[in-house]
Amino acid sequence: MISLGSYLAISFALFILGIAVMIARKNIIAILLGIELILNSAALNFAAYTKFVNNNLDGHVMSLFIIVIAAAEAAVGLGIVIRFFQLRESIHIDDAASLQN
Amino acid sequence: MFNDFLFLASAALTLGGAFAVVWVKDLMHACIYLMASLFGVAGLYACIGADFLAATQIVVYAGGVVILMLFAVMLTGGASNKTNRYGLEKIHAMGNTKTKMVAGISAFVIGLVILKIMVSVLKAQPVSQVGANENSVEKIGTLLASDHILAFEISSVLLLGALIGAAIISRPRKEIHD
Amino acid sequence: MNATIISYLSQSKEFNLIVAWFSELFGFDATSFVAFNLFGVFALLLIGFAATVGGLGTFAERKISADLQMRQGPNRVGPYGILQFLADGVKLITKEDIIPAQVDKFTFYIAPVLCLVGVFSALSVFPISSGFILTDLNVGIFYFLGMTSLVGVGIFLGGYSSNSKWSMLGGMRGASQIISYEIPVTITIVMMVLLAGGMSMGILVSSQGSSVLDWNLFHNPFTFIGFFVYFIAALAETNRAPFDLPEAESELVSGYHTEFSGMRFGFFALAEYIEVLIVCGIATAMFLGGYKVPFDLGTGELLNQKLGLDLMLAKNIGQFLEIGSFLTKTFALYYVVIWIRWTLPRLRVDQLMTLCWKYLTPIALFNLIGCAVWIYVFNGQSIVQLFSLLFKSSGGGH
Repeated sequence: MISLGSYLAISFALFILGIAVMIARKNIIAILLGIELILNSAALNFAAYTKFVNNNLDGHVMSLFIIVIAAAEAAVGLGIVIRFFQLRESIHIDDAASLQN
Repeated sequence: MFNDFLFLASAALTLGGAFAVVWVKDLMHACIYLMASLFGVAGLYACIGADFLAATQIVVYAGGVVILMLFAVMLTGGASNKTNRYGLEKIHAMGNTKTKMVAGISAFVIGLVILKIMVSVLKAQPVSQVGANENSVEKIGTLLASDHILAFEISSVLLLGALIGAAIISRPRKEIHD
Repeated sequence: MNATIISYLSQSKEFNLIVAWFSELFGFDATSFVAFNLFGVFALLLIGFAATVGGLGTFAERKISADLQMRQGPNRVGPYGILQFLADGVKLITKEDIIPAQVDKFTFYIAPVLCLVGVFSALSVFPISSGFILTDLNVGIFYFLGMTSLVGVGIFLGGYSSNSKWSMLGGMRGASQIISYEIPVTITIVMMVLLAGGMSMGILVSSQGSSVLDWNLFHNPFTFIGFFVYFIAALAETNRAPFDLPEAESELVSGYHTEFSGMRFGFFALAEYIEVLIVCGIATAMFLGGYKVPFDLGTGELLNQKLGLDLMLAKNIGQFLEIGSFLTKTFALYYVVIWIRWTLPRLRVDQLMTLCWKYLTPIALFNLIGCAVWIYVFNGQSIVQLFSLLFKSSGGGH
């Protein structure tokens, strides 16, 4: 029986996996992949609540805006990555440490 | 019955793809597994009855973001030096065992914290009528034009800003020779 | 819910008999089981039909190009050479599957499959008739847009995985061409959705009338221009000449599918021909009246009343006539596509991008705004209706 809890469990698992991707990888683009997973888990959460709790489609609109914002953020993030690569010739995140120490 | 089957298949695709994004060594493969995971999320939206949302997910993510990632991987490929500015060896860009262990432990800890917060929500689920699947396109359109018009307009400005910003940040610059 | 082929078939007595028989066999209500299996059968039928049309498309291309160049095409295999595509298929299947040693194996295996999956998934909303459309999704045309973007990913991965500079160039050009030309296609589709009032294929087609003057093509001047914008941009999306730089045979040694041999190359080629079929079909549905036949035979009313046939049989005959009308228009557009390929020279890559971004996208935006203004000012009436109103009122209301 599919209930709200199963959708919440899936979005929770997606969130955890997204955080694991962000921590485990040292490549900037791979970290952006993790960010996409986290945003998708949030959008899935909103949509699940629309279906199972109240039916007034505001959750769907919120998910739509999350998708829009995730796309814009991916575009700008990848632009920054490309600029970083043009300057430093590497996309390893340990090279982005000039403000450290 | 087949709704449950669709839910299980989409959930397996989502979680399998996300898990593979953590584990694979090659960045291109990770992007493909991310695309598979996003297709799974679109399937989950279809199970909920959010047809417009599922179609938007496929159009934006599979047709947009994934191609963007693939192009970025292409444009920034190439091997780099193996030692950082201190002369120490750099950790492999896609993570070795130590980083994955750290990731697993921290994800576990964060998961426990979230579960502790969520347990009250999960226990207090209102048993209300589950709505039937309906045609959501017109209703979403009406909502976007009436209740959420401000967010709609602001998101258009945001997209304009992202478009111009991404183009300006990453355009090739002329070298100035003295 | 959506109207699917099963909801059309469930009106017939035979379907209910089958469901009752299976329910007796299983003990529970077997409607969804029968529906699922029938969906599978019809999906396979549709895929088989599309693959056959794709194969015949290669044959038609060779024959039509021969006709344009004043020579005979293939005419040995079968009557008038019509079995040539089967011979080509057998050749491709029996070729040795060469995988170069340095390729990225996972991506190499998956790239042609992605192209074909995207194209076959778009077939599920292919509007061949009002009853036999596989599923009339509420977001039909939007789903179609998403699935054709998958072909671009397949092309890019094919070019990348081959680990060769020619293929990489071809793959990047192909992917950038596809994502650039998606924009005029999407804007034109949004304009037609605005005009028709819904995203489902059924609504798009039934917003047009049956006679030629009621087609969306002649609705207002903006949709007229929009048809050509859509046609050119969709042609560029399918990597079809004169936009076939990614697979340019004379420049890039066959571009992104250089390293694919045998049936893997067959997948890419088949995906291209079926995608042309789908693009022509969608253009027919949006602009040329789709499957509408005159006298509105789809509901079977006319045959039922005039000839006294059984209602379900009359409906089925109407459906087949609708399929015939749709395929006639689609194949006419297919002929135009093949004609264009063998007439025009290939575009350079910067001319391609200039055409998209500097010409087609502004024209598409202008069309969208113009069509919206037209709908507002004239209450959604077409030019034909306006003229008939003008003549009626000037005639003094006789």
